[in-house]
Amino acid sequence: MRLPLSWLREFVPVEVEPRRLADDLTAAGLAVDGIETAGGETVLELDITTNRVDCMSVYGVAREVAALYGAALRPPDTAASATGAPAAESLHVKVEAPDLCGRFCARLLDVKIGPSPAWLQGRLELVGIRSINNVVDLTNYVMIELGQPSHAFDLSRVPGGALVVRWSREGERLTTLDGNERALPARVGVIAGRGGEPPLALAGIMGGASSEISQTTRVVAFEAAWWEPLAVRRAARALGMRTEASHRFERGTDVAAGPLALDRLAHLAAKIGAGSVRPGLVERKGAEQPGRSVRLRPARVSALLGVELPRSQQVKTLEALGFLVSGSNTEATARVPSWRLDVAGEADLAEEVGRHYGLQKIPSALPPSGRVGGLRRSQHRERRIREILAGVGLSEVIGSAFVSGSEVAAAPGLRLANPLTSEQDTLRTSLVMPGLARALGTNQRLGRRDLALFELGRVFLPGSERPLEERRLGMLLSGQWPPRHWSAPSRPVDLFDIKGLVELLFERLGERLPQWGGEAPPPGFLHPGRAARLVSDGRELGYAGVIHPDVRDRLELKDEAVVLEIDIERLLESPPGIARFHALDRYPAVERDLSILCDETTPAAETLACVRQAAGDRLRSVSLVDRYTGKQLPPGKLSLTLRLLFQDRERTLTSDEVQAVVDGVIRELRHAGLEIRGE
Amino acid sequence: MSELVQRVRDTTRALRAEFETLAPLISDSAALQALRDRFLGRKSGALSGLLKSLGQVAEAERRELGQELNALKAEIEVRLAEAELGLERRLRQDALARERLDATLPGRRPCVGRRHPLTVVRQELEDIFVAMGYEVYDGPEIEDDYYNFEALNMPADHPARDMQDTFYLEGPGGLLLRTHTSSAQIHYMLENEHPPEVRIICPGKVYRRDSDVTHAPMFQQVEGLVVGKGIHLGHLKGTIEAFLHSLFGEAYPVRFRASYFPYTEPSVEADLGCIVCGGSGRLEDASACRICKATGWLEILGSGMVHPAVFEAVNARLGRVVYDPETVTGFAFGLGIERVAMVRHGIDDIRLFYENDMRFLEQFAS
Repeated sequence: MRLPLSWLREFVPVEVEPRRLADDLTAAGLAVDGIETAGGETVLELDITTNRVDCMSVYGVAREVAALYGAALRPPDTAASATGAPAAESLHVKVEAPDLCGRFCARLLDVKIGPSPAWLQGRLELVGIRSINNVVDLTNYVMIELGQPSHAFDLSRVPGGALVVRWSREGERLTTLDGNERALPARVGVIAGRGGEPPLALAGIMGGASSEISQTTRVVAFEAAWWEPLAVRRAARALGMRTEASHRFERGTDVAAGPLALDRLAHLAAKIGAGSVRPGLVERKGAEQPGRSVRLRPARVSALLGVELPRSQQVKTLEALGFLVSGSNTEATARVPSWRLDVAGEADLAEEVGRHYGLQKIPSALPPSGRVGGLRRSQHRERRIREILAGVGLSEVIGSAFVSGSEVAAAPGLRLANPLTSEQDTLRTSLVMPGLARALGTNQRLGRRDLALFELGRVFLPGSERPLEERRLGMLLSGQWPPRHWSAPSRPVDLFDIKGLVELLFERLGERLPQWGGEAPPPGFLHPGRAARLVSDGRELGYAGVIHPDVRDRLELKDEAVVLEIDIERLLESPPGIARFHALDRYPAVERDLSILCDETTPAAETLACVRQAAGDRLRSVSLVDRYTGKQLPPGKLSLTLRLLFQDRERTLTSDEVQAVVDGVIRELRHAGLEIRGE
Repeated sequence: MSELVQRVRDTTRALRAEFETLAPLISDSAALQALRDRFLGRKSGALSGLLKSLGQVAEAERRELGQELNALKAEIEVRLAEAELGLERRLRQDALARERLDATLPGRRPCVGRRHPLTVVRQELEDIFVAMGYEVYDGPEIEDDYYNFEALNMPADHPARDMQDTFYLEGPGGLLLRTHTSSAQIHYMLENEHPPEVRIICPGKVYRRDSDVTHAPMFQQVEGLVVGKGIHLGHLKGTIEAFLHSLFGEAYPVRFRASYFPYTEPSVEADLGCIVCGGSGRLEDASACRICKATGWLEILGSGMVHPAVFEAVNARLGRVVYDPETVTGFAFGLGIERVAMVRHGIDDIRLFYENDMRFLEQFAS
């Protein structure tokens, strides 16, 4: 809201520097966003919070300023001499919908339509309102000044000289002042003519064209009402309209302000020579608005603010703001002024007292602490996962939670009712697809080919009552990883890079390594021959694999990419394994290599398991040192060279003992149909 | 003295002189061997011949001459051994010199990765509050109307709902994506009813239907909640000051001003003296500071004393009075993690955080 200081000074003698005034208002909760000086006028740009509709007016701000500086608030001049026949003889008002209208006030003025004087036009211009004619300008002027919107009807164009307040019926039509013909839904508040027909204006939102002020208007009915905030809010939303009037009404105006606003209008009309008021206020009240009182215990206000403020000081602030306080030192009652619909409890009074005392002056302290803080286990683990992966060269990304519905298979319950775009209309069910794959595409288009990314975040899965939120880890490698050095040939990433990473991660977390295999086939967006499910303790964890070439083409990805996605809920919650010390080996280890001829289709894990089983407890480790597939082997065969390390805790093994174990291993392998090369 | 003795003496002297001349000229192993043969060779070596000739020298002088010749032989042996060592050293040096590397070539770096800049800021915030005795609590991102609005004193049709344009899920149940981490407060209070003492922060993603340089449809907040007997506004101020000073440094002033949030009363906004222009609103070249829009202040967080209606909503759901507004009070605060990161790093577009462009992410060492 724009506030010219000259206008403010009509109601409160404030002489402080504009900068100082702006700072003081800001501290008290009326945020000043800017100060503008033009043509000898200083205008404050105020950002009024939605609860303080009473300060969306010059007079409302003046009241705050007066309270802040202890200055006197000068009420608006409303003196006007009435002439002619009583208004009630020519204007009839009926409120058929008391749940819509709490109070309806009107006055009649004999007018002479013309332009407003320059000073009035100038003020409206300063606050950003275009001058129309003297009558319309007066309604706007009074709205800005007192916060009470009003509307002017050309009485000659009001059928039957009657204003009837009622709810709309669905399908009724009305052309509003902005020239739009609107079809009304049901239960929009309207002001209609005699007998309730036709609708002339949208209550609290905008007037209608049929009763608009024109050059020939002679008698004007000025209306100033109190509309039920929710009614105006719903109607404005249903009609997609937002006006200065609706903005104020839907936040709750002052039920007592109608007569004051009309009197001020009458005064100003006479002052600028626009017309003279006829005697009498035409008024209909709806449901009575009871005055509200709030309990005030000064000691409790002090306790909540954390500063000892005497009752007298609290009362002084509240009374300056229009509250009436009665009662004892310990237990009092504050009668809430009609314009403060936001005040409903003692805490609200504390806010009034606190902000006028000055929040800055309240002494700071730390709350007494009897508690030990800390991260939960899962939070520690999340951090650890990020540190490990960042430590070995992966960069963390954060993908959007929104994906296109076309990219998610069946996702009941995961669609947004009001998405920003159709590309973002569904919640993601995977970190990898399309999230990490898209991140790869983005970077490839920018010329970046070597990428190692991870994301730790939630995905959303269809659930019985509501979607489930599952914490997952996703990884993607593409191009070279580690990045290529000039000294070495280039090697694109493959499945074993990501397998090594996930094994490292599990090992560092003290978890058993997951198995690669699993019952279900890997997801369809993976290369069918280069993908696997990950299983841990018989439970499906996720998948790893190379992105399917078809998917790569569809996403326009240049290079092959290896991805992994696992559910980490269990990993996060499982207690950290604590390493148990075991005595160091004191006797030398003996190494033996075995080259085993296997079928290409036999998983290496099976061969290794067979060796382990046969070697017994003196086998310290077995590692794969070579895997050979070549012309020297029979078709469909490959050779695995394993390095076996034998060691005994009690003594040095003799070569005969080792040979005996190796012979046993070879027997078992042959038994399993495997051949030993070079034997 | 016999003529023979004189001749041996002369020859010895001549040999010494000859060795002194030749020794410095040894350039390779062949020259070394030639010199060894010349002087020490068993058959044709000059010294060997001379020593043999001593047999003809009289007994009385043979001893003295023998000592003299042996001394010369020993000296030559030592000198040749030294020369051999020197030769080897030189050969090694030459060989090493040929193995020279160009140290200006690029090094082989271990892989470098990094956490997301928002993760870094979030963890720093968490650490500050954990040090002050807070727990870190995660709430769900999918909420219903009760947790996101109603329990926070925003009943249906409340104008404050306009400030937070909400994403709703299709289907029954009125499910929505939380618009603020404040909803986690309610979960925590319902789950931890004894005793009614709370000291938590709730970091996490939140969602609003908005997208421009300062608004992303998904962003991250940290909510804080402290509840207990005798908690007051001074505690709120002290906590926020301690936190902001820990995060940005003690040099920047913190300003508190009245504001409005439906779930706090009184409501307070905290501003930090602009860390770019030092609070003057002007840069060194006198141009207006863009970060604080020339106000000298950065809006950092919203806060306030917990509205009694929030406690009452929790009590209503619990079915009994656990958080009695007459006996316990509390404060809450919330801030945007992106906002902190943007202020700190001078980032001017919030959407960069979620585009996953490595050119952006790699600018932040972490």
